[in-house]
Formats: sequence, C-alpha cells, structure tokens
Amino acid sequence: MSPAPWPGDAPAFEIAIDDPRYPRLLAQIEDAPKMLYGFGDPSVLAPGLAVVGARRATPYGLAAARLFAGWAAAAGYPIISGAAIGCDQAAHGAALEAGGRTVAVLGTGADVAYPSGSGALLTQIASSGCVVSELDWGHPAAKWTFRARNRIIAGLAGALLVLEAGCPSGTFITADRALDAGRDVLVVPGSIFAPECRGPNRLLRQGAVPVTEVSELADALMLSLGPPPNALDASETLYGLKTDDDVLSSLRTNPGRPDDIARALGLDIISAARRIGALEGLGLVRKYPDGRYGPC
Amino acid sequence: MGQCTVGTFTLSGVEAVSVDAEVDVGAGLPTFAIVGLGDLAVQEARERVRSALRASGFDVPNARVVVNLAPGPVRKHGTGFDLPIAVGILAATGQLPSRLASGCLAVGELSLDGSVRPIAGMLAYALAARAAGVPLVGPGSAHVATSLDGLDYRPLERLSQLRGGLPDATCAAPTAHLVAASPLDFADVAGHELAKRALLIAAAGGHNVLMVGPPGSGKTMLARRLPTILPPLSPTERLETALVHSVAGLDEAAAFGGVRPFRAPHHSASIAGLVGGGSPPRPGEASLAHNGVLFLDEMPEFGPAALQALRQPLEDGEITLVRAEGRLRFPARFALVGAANPCPCGFFGDGSKPCTCSQTLVARYQNRIGGPLMDRIDIVVDVNRVDPALLLDSAGGAGSASMRAQVAHVRERADERLLGPTAQLAGSALLQACGLDRSCRHALETVARTQHLSGRGVTRLLRVARTVADLEDAANVTAEHIAEVVGFRAKGER
Repeated sequence: MSPAPWPGDAPAFEIAIDDPRYPRLLAQIEDAPKMLYGFGDPSVLAPGLAVVGARRATPYGLAAARLFAGWAAAAGYPIISGAAIGCDQAAHGAALEAGGRTVAVLGTGADVAYPSGSGALLTQIASSGCVVSELDWGHPAAKWTFRARNRIIAGLAGALLVLEAGCPSGTFITADRALDAGRDVLVVPGSIFAPECRGPNRLLRQGAVPVTEVSELADALMLSLGPPPNALDASETLYGLKTDDDVLSSLRTNPGRPDDIARALGLDIISAARRIGALEGLGLVRKYPDGRYGPC
Repeated sequence: MGQCTVGTFTLSGVEAVSVDAEVDVGAGLPTFAIVGLGDLAVQEARERVRSALRASGFDVPNARVVVNLAPGPVRKHGTGFDLPIAVGILAATGQLPSRLASGCLAVGELSLDGSVRPIAGMLAYALAARAAGVPLVGPGSAHVATSLDGLDYRPLERLSQLRGGLPDATCAAPTAHLVAASPLDFADVAGHELAKRALLIAAAGGHNVLMVGPPGSGKTMLARRLPTILPPLSPTERLETALVHSVAGLDEAAAFGGVRPFRAPHHSASIAGLVGGGSPPRPGEASLAHNGVLFLDEMPEFGPAALQALRQPLEDGEITLVRAEGRLRFPARFALVGAANPCPCGFFGDGSKPCTCSQTLVARYQNRIGGPLMDRIDIVVDVNRVDPALLLDSAGGAGSASMRAQVAHVRERADERLLGPTAQLAGSALLQACGLDRSCRHALETVARTQHLSGRGVTRLLRVARTVADLEDAANVTAEHIAEVVGFRAKGER
C-alpha cells in the first residue's frame, strides 16, 4: 500500500512576520521565524496548548496525551504538537477525535510528510487545523531543524504540557524554550524509576505545575489561556443539554433535590432529574450524603 | 394376608419424587412398622391410619404389618403417606381390589375419623402424576392444583368412599381464577414523582431498586403499590410461582390467578427464612417471591449473612441448597425492592427534624448493605417527606393503570429485541441493544470518567438507560437517557 499523498490539495499559505495573520505570541519570542509556510487554516495559530513528549513513549505517556489533548481540544483550545511518532501523534489524534482543531509544527518543509507514513494524519490535521513550518517548501529533515522547530512549538503555545521526556531530550529543550518565552509549563508526573519520566519529574522539581487530573488542566488553562472557547458547545455535544444554565446556577447557590429544582424552575421532574444527571455526569455537581445536589 | 404396592411421592425442593409404599401384612406378632427413612410425621402415620381405618368401617389387621417406603435411602417427610399406606393395607388384606391400589397414585393425610385432609405440595404431586399419566387420588377439598389441564384427579372426601372403587374424576371445568383487583393504586400517592418514576423503570425493566428516606416518608406505601403495575404472570410463570407456594403450604390461588407475589419479610428473618432451608427444606421468602417482588423494608437492619445470601438468587434466579442428602434447587427470580433509612435515627437529610447521628455512624449505616449486594441494585432513589401542603392539594399524578400499560409496552419492546431481559443484558448484546451513537458514547465515557465507574457500573447504567429509552419508544439510547440514570446511582458508587 502506498502512503497517503501529502500535501494533496490542501490549501497552502505563506505568512511573513509583518503579516497581520502572523501569530501574536510567536512574534514575541527572541528568534521568531521570519516566514511561516503551511497548509490549512492559519487562524488556528491562536494561543493554544502544546503537548510534547517522547517519540518512544510508554502506554502511560500515550494515554495521558490522549486524555489531556482530547479534553483540551473538546474545550476548544487549539492543540499544538510536532506530528512525531509517539506522544505527538497521540495528541493530534485525540484532538481530531474530540472534534477539536490542532496544529502540527514540522521540522521539515511543510510539504514534506515526515516522518514517512504520516501523510494521512497531516491531511486530516490540515482539513480542520493547520500544518506549519518555518522552512522553505521541500526542505529536507536535518538534526538542527527539529531543535529549531521546538522553539516554534513553545512560541505558538500559551501553555505547554510535558508528558514523557528523557533528560536531555528534544522535549526537554522545548520546555526550556517555553520557560524562556515566559509560557506556563504543565507536567504530567511519572515514576521516579522510569528514565522516560526523568524530564517531567525534573521540571516539577524546578517548579512546573503538576497535572494529575482533567480538572487541574482545566484550572491551569483557565489561568494561562483564558476560559475555554467553547465550554458550552463542548458540553452540548456531550449531552444535548446546556450546562451553563439555570439548574446549575440554582444548585450552586442553593443545593437541593430534584423535586426542589423542578418546583423552583417550573420543570417536570423527569427533565429536572435529567439535567441534574447531566451536570453530575460532567462532574459539575455531586450528590451529597443527605441526597441534595450541589457544587463539587 | 398379602402384599401390595401403592405409588406416592415425597417432596425434594419443589419437585415430587416418586416413592413406592410397599405394604406387607403377614403372620407374626401384631405390629405396625414403617421403614424407609421417614421423619416423625411419617412414623405417626401408624396411629392415624389405624384410627381412620377403624372409623371408616374397615378391619384393622391383627397381624404383622410392615410398610417400606422405597427407595430406602431417600429421606421422606410429611403426612402425605397416610393415604397410600391405608390403601396399601386395605389392598393387602383383600378389603379392596389390588388393581385399584396399583392403578393409581395416592397422597393425603388422614384424620382419625377417616376423612382425607389437604397437604402441602399438592401442585407438585399433581404435576408429577400428570407427567406419569396415572390417576391421582387425593384430598377432596376444592383445590386449585387439582384443576390442572390433563390431570386425572380423583378427589376423596373420606376413606370409606373407596368401597365403591376409585372416586369419579373431577368434572370441574378449569376454574376461571378470578382475583379481586388490588385496592392499592399509585394514583393515591401524592408527590413522590421521582420515586414513582424509579419504580416504573424498575418494574418495566426488571431492575432491582433501593429507596432511601426518613421514616414515614412513604417508602413502604410506594413498594406495596409496585405489584399493581406489574403485568400478570404468564401461564408458565403462574405454574412456577404456584408450585413454590404450594410446596410451602401456602394458598396458590392468587398465583394461579396471575397475581405476582409480593413478599415482605421482617428484618429479623434468618438465612433459612430468606433463601430457604430447614428440615425438611422449605422454600424461603426469596423463592416465594419467584416471578414477583421481594420487598426488604429496613434493609440495613437485616442480618448481614442473610442479606448476602441473596446474592446467588439475584445472580442466577435460583437458590441451590447443598445438604448431606443432596442438592436442592428452589426457583427465585424476583425483583428486589429495598427500603432503608439514611441513618440509624432516620432523619439525616430531612429538613423537619435534626439528625442525632454522628458522621461516622451515618457512613457506617449506609455501607451496611455491603458492596457486592449494592452491585446488584441498579436504581437508588431518595424518597423524601412530602410537603403537607402538597399532600392535600395534589391530584396524585399517574395512576397504576397507565403505569401498568407503560410497563407492559416496555416489556413487549424488550421481547421484540430477542436479546433477553433488559436487566440481564451484558457485553455485546447490551451494546447492540443500546445502539449508542458517537456523541452518546462520548457522554458515557465522560460519566464513567468523572464518576469513576467500573465496568460493572457502566453495564448497570446502560441497562437502566435502555429501559428509560424503551419508556420513550426510542430506538437508541441517547445522552439524555444516560443523564437521567446518572441520578439513580448509589452515593459514591463505582
């Protein structure tokens, strides 16, 4: 089977540093690229969450990449990564699956499918997000190009999530560049015995923010990127029900039972129960031991 | 002087096992012995038989009488051997033609005055006699079991009637077992809309349900009305349920009439009382609730061992008792309805009265039912006291008739799926029945993640959601159905 053709008919773009479409955050770093070449929709190059990790990732790292990238993408934050095998591709994949938008920053020319066999993924990324590179069309891969690429990932991101990384490693360099650029560095802690986790654990020691749950990531992204662009949309796709609604605000101010809510808001009991159930399922309210529902 | 064998039965679980009463009347010192592992009631048959024969005008042989209940190693119990022994003695002494004795099966207890008294388990005997295709001679009092289709039943009021040969077959047409409609109705219940909804779902899908609420909030009232929305027993179920009731010596007329049993044992019930046992082994409350409802009021007050003994019937639909003499099976497929106070004093979470229990006491009380049993309870619903104002002016909401129609409809839908009862769906059959689309699958994953659900938790959630969808005639389970079921889970359930 021949690999999927890349770039195919994806729409190409070239953006110079003085172009209004040039990403604002990227322009702030010391050695911002003069030109960006790419395919897809350049408006996705907004401040987002960069997810970086080792190519030879363990199942733990891949699961964490899928969990956090998937959630952040569903919440509407762009997911930025490097399209490399391992954590990068897991993050892109999870973002696409969640219906989110994602940016792949390549260490080759944007029209080169690298690593080979990633053409199908790149095509999918470019159809809703974009694939971008500072290197001219057709530029081949070299050791230095990937190191340089890492600074663009750090520059594009409002926050960086580090999964698994050796020390030293490319991922670790990206984290260093993000710190230089004043970005928030979030870290998924790992085992103290695993060489794959030496990087993240060292970053933690240096004061990075640990992320052990989706809610912690949500809090961190709220601080560094602002409220999730489509929290409401994301929950609508989850349940067909609005979460940002009168039931939630009512329970937040005054915990109650389904029949209290039904009476207070003039709902029938079944729809009140369903809306409370949806909120509980999203982890926004919980049932207290005495049977009332209220904020977690 | 001679020998005669009369066919009869003894009970093993809910089955009648055939036994031969062999009677030998011969020369020797006048004695009367019964051998063949009979219990005390069987031994006492000697006195009853002797008096009944004399009172009926027959001769009591002044000879050596030995009765052997074969097969020897099987334990026999009960008073049903009186009649076959008496018939055997009469035939062996030439007072009755021996072909009369050998051409029929006989069961019944004898009174000292020669009348034949009813005994427990008539339905089991009737079924066995029907299967054997032999006439059954038994007590004459009107008995539902004896009107079984295809059974040749010969009712015997008094032993003396045998002088005229076998009594005539009952010509009673299969009685139309009319049972008075229950006076209870859900329409009488004011408020409690959520609890009624939970019971509706439970009845429709055959799910087990636990109601939690302070004393006097209406848990028992709600549970007692559950049978009014259950569809009548199917013909096979009638027979199964009536059989258990018959073996337990209870009136089986209601079960024959299609009324689902509703058993509400007190919380002091022992293990044997709940799941069956004793000597001779009798069906317990769980079996008596077969095809119906087992209501455990004050569930945490039940003995932990008795409660945990319910796990097997909840899983398998039957109870297997293992005894030295062998394994006995009692059917026990029931819907479990539990009621519990939220804490020992009962008022935790109730606005009207302060709770006097400490936090740890509340937590311990709520955990008393135990994880493995809670795992088999699909729906947990809070029942709160209804505002007095609401009690007086509300119209009561849905009545039993409309709820019963909904239940019947959902059960039909479940049958059409051909995947088995909704409450027992699992694995790929469950997924096939639910037909989750992408967004719904996502919703379920989110719930599982935020609520830390186990695989079993997800399975239970989906089963109940399938029933909720059926209530709406929806082909597929949607996120809304799942959202409703999220609220019916136990606190802190995994």
